[in-house]
Amino acid sequence: MEEESGEELGLDRSTPKDFHFYHMDLYDSEDRLQLFPEENTRMRKEVVQAEMANESTGVGDGNAQRDLREEVEELVHLHGLEDDHELGDEFVDENMPRMGVSEYPPYGLKRRDPAREQRDWRLSGEAAEAEDLGFGGWGSAGQCQDLREVYRYTHGRASEEYECYVIPEEEDEEEAADVFCVTCKTPIRAFQKVFDEHKEHEVIPLNEALESAKDEIHKNMYKLEKQIIDMENFANHLEEVFITVEENFGKQEQNFESHYNEILETLAQKYEEKIQALGEKKKEKLEALYGQLVSCGENLDTCKELMETIEEMCHEEKVDFIKDAVAMADRLGRFLKTKTDVEISAQPDFEDQNLDFSDVEQLMDSINTIPAPSAPVINPQAPNSATGSSVRVCWSLYSDDTVESYQLSYRPVQDSSPGKDQAEFTVTIKETYCSVTDLVPNTQYEFWVTAHNRAGPSPSSERAVYVTAPSPPIIKTKEIRSCEEAVLICWESGNLNPVDSYTVELTQAESPEASGVTESVVGIPTCETLVQLQPGQSYIIYVRALNMGGPSVRSEPATVHTIGSYFRLNKDTCHPWLTISQDGLMIVRSERSTPTREPPPRDTHFTRCVAVMGNLIPVRGHHYWEVEVNEHFDYTVGVAFEDVPKKEDLGANCLSWCMRHTFASLRHKYEFLHNGTTPDIRITVPPKKIGILLDYENSKLSFFNVDLSQHLYTFSCQLHKFVHPCFSLEKPGCLKIHNGISMPKHVTFY
Amino acid sequence: MALKQISSNKCFGGLQKVFEHDSVELNCKMKFAVYLPPKAETGKCPVLYWLSGLTCTEQNFISKSGYHQAASEHGLVVIAPDTSPRGCNIKGEDESWDFGTGAGFYVDATEDPWKTNYRMYSYITEELPQLINANFPVDPQRTSIFGHSMGGHGALICALKNPGKYKSVSAFAPICNPVLCPWGKKAFSGYLGTDQSKWKAYDATHLVKSYPGSQLDILIDQGKDDQFLLDGQLLPDNFIAACTEKKIPVVFRLQEGYDHSYYFIATFITDHIRHHAKYLNA
Repeated sequence: MEEESGEELGLDRSTPKDFHFYHMDLYDSEDRLQLFPEENTRMRKEVVQAEMANESTGVGDGNAQRDLREEVEELVHLHGLEDDHELGDEFVDENMPRMGVSEYPPYGLKRRDPAREQRDWRLSGEAAEAEDLGFGGWGSAGQCQDLREVYRYTHGRASEEYECYVIPEEEDEEEAADVFCVTCKTPIRAFQKVFDEHKEHEVIPLNEALESAKDEIHKNMYKLEKQIIDMENFANHLEEVFITVEENFGKQEQNFESHYNEILETLAQKYEEKIQALGEKKKEKLEALYGQLVSCGENLDTCKELMETIEEMCHEEKVDFIKDAVAMADRLGRFLKTKTDVEISAQPDFEDQNLDFSDVEQLMDSINTIPAPSAPVINPQAPNSATGSSVRVCWSLYSDDTVESYQLSYRPVQDSSPGKDQAEFTVTIKETYCSVTDLVPNTQYEFWVTAHNRAGPSPSSERAVYVTAPSPPIIKTKEIRSCEEAVLICWESGNLNPVDSYTVELTQAESPEASGVTESVVGIPTCETLVQLQPGQSYIIYVRALNMGGPSVRSEPATVHTIGSYFRLNKDTCHPWLTISQDGLMIVRSERSTPTREPPPRDTHFTRCVAVMGNLIPVRGHHYWEVEVNEHFDYTVGVAFEDVPKKEDLGANCLSWCMRHTFASLRHKYEFLHNGTTPDIRITVPPKKIGILLDYENSKLSFFNVDLSQHLYTFSCQLHKFVHPCFSLEKPGCLKIHNGISMPKHVTFY
Repeated sequence: MALKQISSNKCFGGLQKVFEHDSVELNCKMKFAVYLPPKAETGKCPVLYWLSGLTCTEQNFISKSGYHQAASEHGLVVIAPDTSPRGCNIKGEDESWDFGTGAGFYVDATEDPWKTNYRMYSYITEELPQLINANFPVDPQRTSIFGHSMGGHGALICALKNPGKYKSVSAFAPICNPVLCPWGKKAFSGYLGTDQSKWKAYDATHLVKSYPGSQLDILIDQGKDDQFLLDGQLLPDNFIAACTEKKIPVVFRLQEGYDHSYYFIATFITDHIRHHAKYLNA
């Protein structure tokens, strides 16, 4: 029967989904019909097949189903199956038993997930297949649940799991219920309320009962799912513990076995030694006794011989007797003189010998004691683990060792004086790491470690060299140069030993709320860097020094404004007669020049014209600055290449472009000098402040009267290299430089 | 005040046009040139008046100076009027090149027979600006003026006589002190009579001395090899001295090797347009 059903199901695979459920119902019905007599079963099968045929043509069509129902009822009546209401009811209540079996697949599939649960299945493989099919074409879980609800109440089962798998075998679903008796907790048919024992009972509509039961089932399901996860986790944990126990005991067994073998070996050795010693002793004694016996016998023989000789002498003639008696007496005398040893040389009793079992005892003891640890392995320094005054040293032990504490020793590495030992320091720690503090920045230290337990110390580890992070660099705030697009910062290392690199960190000062946003320029090898910036902003800049151990703390901050170009005067170029103010922005030539105390000028210094250069940032683009002048002073302002001849006047060569003002006989003369020549230009209002615009992009250098926004002159100059501002005072006076200011609009036309 | 378009040519994205109209001040038909930069299509632009020199019409500047590119880039409307009334049939107006037709000297004549027509000063400062403001997309608040030679003189006196009216002024080889030069003496005596005190009202050097001091940035280019400079017609030194004394800002550039021609003008026209653009587009 099942095989036949299987075939039918096989056919079903290509049929519409409604058909699956219906068909499974059939399957279910057949299951239940197993108790019916053989004939009935056959009858039912015919019915079933007839239904099937009809279903195929009118799938999901209510009318068709209704027709079917009538047909079936006819058939049922025809074959005297009136008592079996089940089949008819199935058709009457479209929502209910039809869906009965198809409910399972979702759960079936879920349940089947863990392999071990598969054996709990009470359904045959084919049934499972059928469920799969049902699941495949089944979309409405709600309907499934409705059904489940009913089953649950029908059978009064607490566990839906049980229900799910058991229901198909249940026999007692005689009638489909349409209301629910709360008192009996069972679904009943409505007419039963009227007649039966439920007469006095409270009944509610079946749907309501479904709803509440559905909720409860859901809760239980979640609980179960959670429990499954918990149990699986617990099982995993148990497995781990299992493995650990196995390993630990294995290790212990191995350990004991080796000790045990060692002791046995020692004992066997002792036995061998003892046996050998006893044998030797025996042999020695026996040999001694035997020797004594032999000499005793010889003595006896000699005595006997003497006795015989003497007796023979007694029988001799007197003369002969006398003669021989004298000789005999001598011989006898000699013989008797040799003392006969009658002491027993070897004692027969066994001398008490002490066996030395101390080493065995020690071995026995050592089964219960632990060995001294092996040398720990010291790790190389982890990057970025050090600070300026501390390093974090790590090491590891062999897993078999039992360690109670470690002793970490260190001393600074000194290349210069190897003979003179630096002081060593030792600390005792329980952990396998240690932060060693109070160290000197950017210094190498040698570390080594020993492990200790009751049995004693381990050998020392290898020596590892750790290095502390560097000291923070010191930004040369007075040498910061900037323009709208960039800043050139330089700093002092702050460390005697070289460091690996420097990092520059920038934060926009305008946005303190975003102070976390820090831009970093890393891997700077020198003490100077050019950083691109956004115009019109304020930045706070920090520098860190880096080595293997890690970065230093931040340097003191420096603030940079990307407004205009900012530079200071370069003292290295300053003519000795000029004095530069503290802020590096004012030049003074006093009335009394004292050439006597001139220091020997270097070739960076201007020597002929009394001039000084500014340190402009080497960035192509626009640079604007202003110079405050006095209309009665003689001055020259402009730009020059760094290698402009210092022994020539500014503007006298092709390496400088300048505006020169001379005031003589109450007349102002303005020259715009390059290569010694000037255009003829007259200016009616003497500027008090001269604006200078250096434009690399257009190769122009322009001069302005700032107060009047008046354009004075523009050089077209080939700036193949970077130029620097230059200033000169041909007579006593002073010049004041204003920079770090934004360019006035009027200059943008030039 | 009907305008009659005489010509229109596209130039550097804009249009170079010439118009004719009936001038009230001058009592005759007058032509003037207008350059409309591309920017004028979308909005009002500053306006820059160019005054030409002796013998010129509106054509010289627009065809020889090569100012269009700079004007186009800076978005300036450039107006180039004629240099005198034409066809007035005044006796003697065509007798010499430095008086009468083509030599209006930008004064309002007070003497007969010139006083009816030769009112170039009023034409340049009143009638023409009204006409331009009414008919072209210009911003009257942003007006500047420049010129060459006699026109340089005209530009200077217009600016100096109307403080604040012009944002800036510049000149190529201007007649700086006409009361002292032969051209000026001839023209002023003809148009203004023999009373030299009246002349000073049209003399840049004299006007500077009474200039009230409103900010005015003056740029003057002068060719060093200009024959008229050597002839003492231009006298820039007098003007410079007066400006120095009165602290009127002037940058005077004596350009080595240049003469009085439009070649000279074309060389430095870009500098001048930029000079005006700086104030007009500020």
